[in-house]
Amino acid sequence: MAAEQTAVADSTENGLGGKYLTFSLGSEEYGVEIMKIREIIGIMEITAVPHTPEYIKGVINLRGRVIPVLELRLRFNMATRKYDDRTCIIVVEVNGPSGPIMIGMLVDSVSEVINIDSAEIEPPPEFGTPTESENILGMGKIKGEVKILLDVDKIVGAGVLEHLEASA
Amino acid sequence: MAEEVNTFDKLLNDLALKIMMVDPGDLSVVGDLILDLENLDSTPDITAKFPNLKQMALDLRVALGKIVMTDIDDSAENFDIVGQCIGLMEEVYRKDDNDPESLASFNNLLSTLSSSSTAPENLKDSPSEEQTDNPPAQSPAPADSTPATEAPDKPVILDTKPESLDFMEDMELLSGFIEETREHLDSIEVNILDLEDNPGDMEIINNIFRPFHTIKGVSGFLNLTNIQALAHSTENLLDDVRNNIRAMDESVIEVVLKVGDCLKLMIDNLQDTIDNGAESYKNYDIANYIRWVKGVQGAETTTEPATATPAADSAAPAQAQESAPSAVTPPPTTAPPSSPPPKSSPAPPAPPNTAAKPKTKAKKVGATIKVDVDKLDGLVNAVGELVIMQTMVRANPHITAIADPKLNKDFGQLFRITSELQKTSMSMRMVPIRQTFQKMIRLVRDLSKKTGKQANLVMEGEETEIDRNMVDSIYDPLVHMMRNSVDHGVQMPEERERLGKPSYGTVSLRAYQKGGYMVIEIEDDGQGLNTEKIKRKALERGLIQESDNLSDHDLNNLVFLPGFSTADQITDVSGRGVGMDVVKKAVEKLRGKVDVMSEPGKGSIFTIRLPLTLAIIDGIIVQVGTERYIIPTIAIRESFRPRREDYKTIKGQGETLLVRGNLIPIIRLYKYFQIEAKCTDPCEAIVVVVESEGKQRAIMVDELLGKQEVVIKNLGGITDITGVAGGTILGDGRVGLILDLAGLVTAKMNYNLDLPAAVSKDSPAIEEVTEPENTADSEKTTEPEQIS
Repeated sequence: MAAEQTAVADSTENGLGGKYLTFSLGSEEYGVEIMKIREIIGIMEITAVPHTPEYIKGVINLRGRVIPVLELRLRFNMATRKYDDRTCIIVVEVNGPSGPIMIGMLVDSVSEVINIDSAEIEPPPEFGTPTESENILGMGKIKGEVKILLDVDKIVGAGVLEHLEASA
Repeated sequence: MAEEVNTFDKLLNDLALKIMMVDPGDLSVVGDLILDLENLDSTPDITAKFPNLKQMALDLRVALGKIVMTDIDDSAENFDIVGQCIGLMEEVYRKDDNDPESLASFNNLLSTLSSSSTAPENLKDSPSEEQTDNPPAQSPAPADSTPATEAPDKPVILDTKPESLDFMEDMELLSGFIEETREHLDSIEVNILDLEDNPGDMEIINNIFRPFHTIKGVSGFLNLTNIQALAHSTENLLDDVRNNIRAMDESVIEVVLKVGDCLKLMIDNLQDTIDNGAESYKNYDIANYIRWVKGVQGAETTTEPATATPAADSAAPAQAQESAPSAVTPPPTTAPPSSPPPKSSPAPPAPPNTAAKPKTKAKKVGATIKVDVDKLDGLVNAVGELVIMQTMVRANPHITAIADPKLNKDFGQLFRITSELQKTSMSMRMVPIRQTFQKMIRLVRDLSKKTGKQANLVMEGEETEIDRNMVDSIYDPLVHMMRNSVDHGVQMPEERERLGKPSYGTVSLRAYQKGGYMVIEIEDDGQGLNTEKIKRKALERGLIQESDNLSDHDLNNLVFLPGFSTADQITDVSGRGVGMDVVKKAVEKLRGKVDVMSEPGKGSIFTIRLPLTLAIIDGIIVQVGTERYIIPTIAIRESFRPRREDYKTIKGQGETLLVRGNLIPIIRLYKYFQIEAKCTDPCEAIVVVVESEGKQRAIMVDELLGKQEVVIKNLGGITDITGVAGGTILGDGRVGLILDLAGLVTAKMNYNLDLPAAVSKDSPAIEEVTEPENTADSEKTTEPEQIS
């Protein structure tokens, strides 16, 4: 109980502490704020949408709603990989131009939900190229492991889906 | 590039549509026009590509600015000139014309606009009561000497500063009032026009009286003093009519209609105030109106010399006002005028024939509730899902393996229930088209007054239901077509008589459902289209060739092409240089079609065909490789497997298909969408010939899978994909994409064909051999990569 309270207090400091869902892409571990996540579904058939960037795999039917799915590996310019039974689609809700929209992120596998104190979160490292770190909230360090905490609004949110043709 | 051209196109269209709809005195539309012109002006590349257009937009904007500032009168004539200017701009845009001469002629036109501002105010001595006369825009209220029966102009805006906006305090109440009042005003208009045909029908008079009373009451409660005062005085007038102090005649009808217009304006302004804050509130001067209403009330009472209303002054009506609110008599649905009105009026009891008419005019209206549109859409979506899920469960191999008669029966029952549910939920979004039609009554009435023509409007099928979302979009095209029919179709009474027709022209407005479509027909018994003239003009413009063997029907339908107005005379009503193409575009946006049939001397029938709902589309599902696409059925002309001899390439770059003498370009969908297809030889594939925006294309697909009604969904944030209009959930739960034919037809097919050699006579064999290899190759090469 006391621990939880400190966690809450901590989170008010830099606003980053809290519960994260972690998943893996290759050997790297990532985390996404739990509040952004709507659900996690297994891989299903994806309908390709023409004239979109490669990382947009297409659209799926999520209980009657058509939502776009993007492959996170391709979004980060990593090599793609054959889908297996651990491949998942994490459905997140982000701010679109006209209200919130749901988007699926295709990842290798989902790991667990962990609580990260803000004290354990460091600012993203500087690579010299600002574009590399701009969609990273911070680096969570838990038990010697590093989780890259993603800012989903920047990765899949506003601007990513519009005027695709111009950018494609 | 393509995008910019589209913006021009859109903006110009928009301008054209707005100038058609503008009414003198309606400055808000002028504001919109200016905004559009600004947008046009600021479009990138306009300077480089259309320097003329830029200059024109600038000049026109200045001119419109003057209209707003009342340096130039906002008269109908001036709007005509503006309309012509916009027509010229369209011309310049279409022809890519940078000739300084056209700019000069444009400026000439504009200068006529300025000069007309000096036209004298001729309202006072004009016998006409029409408001289209040059209104002395900001002149003070007419003096008492003004004949009281003269119609005031549009209400003058006293000042835009809110005197007191305490009614803003309860927004919810206010917006409720606005909505309610709009409904009331609509019903008033319909009823008063009805009254024109049945003067003296007490039931109708009551139906007009009551809404005014309600408006007065609620506006008083909300402290909307102007609206209250106006409604109040009109209510008094109607009360007199009701109590037979005054006869229902033309002047009363006129005044009530105009008051309705004025109230509408004020209500619109209120809505504006809610939307944009208190700054946009305008304090209308309604003194003119009230004086007019009182004048009519005091003037020639037919029954008895009105001692209760001496001289058309304020004293008597003011007294009458005192007692009026209490005079809310219960609607005398059955009873003859039993008790004399509470006012001590010298009016004799109504002649029995007026009140005793037991005409059950009242249309039966069921009880209704208002529901949030979002909720409704949610329900419709959920039901759609239910139907799909049910099909999926039914198709599950484990289920189909069960041979249980009970299960089968239950499934049958379930199916019946869900389809019933689907039908009901769909119908909840439908509303009768009556309201839209009823607005046409007023339109035709005003038009015939304006043009001096006599036209009767006959309506049929007002009960026909239409998707709620479509109602607004269909209004403008319908207005345009009605104007067209009355102004160009119906001839002048003398000419009609000379031709042995009744002097009254008849315009019929019909709606009915036919085969999954809603059809609206506008028929007039006028002169019909001048096919010869259309042909001449089309030849002039190079739209057709002399050698084209077009039927009269084909020729007549050329009027829907841009820039096609055969009217010699530009009139106030229509023919402002913008044509029926605007109608066609608007209807096509709703996935509908327009068509005209005409018989010279007998009249014409314009037909609009619309899908019943915007949520569902009737489509053919086609397969290309592993993907399935939906092509809207309404755009499909035919589909077949092409014959080798009909397949022609052009310079090895473009492919076409000869279909009944027409060369139709082929779209290789798989190339354009960059996917793998089974058939890469057009003569092995199926082509679907589609038509959109007047252009035909042959879309190459692997096979046709069937016809299905599908629910249109957006792609969850993915927008602006050329060639894709949206998605839908197919029977197996997967998403299928709906093709956007308008986009496909206009898109540049810049994929690499690389097959001039491949598709010669003996090539199919080669193609067949190479094609599977290709796919196998690609699989082989991609798989290891994916694993690594």
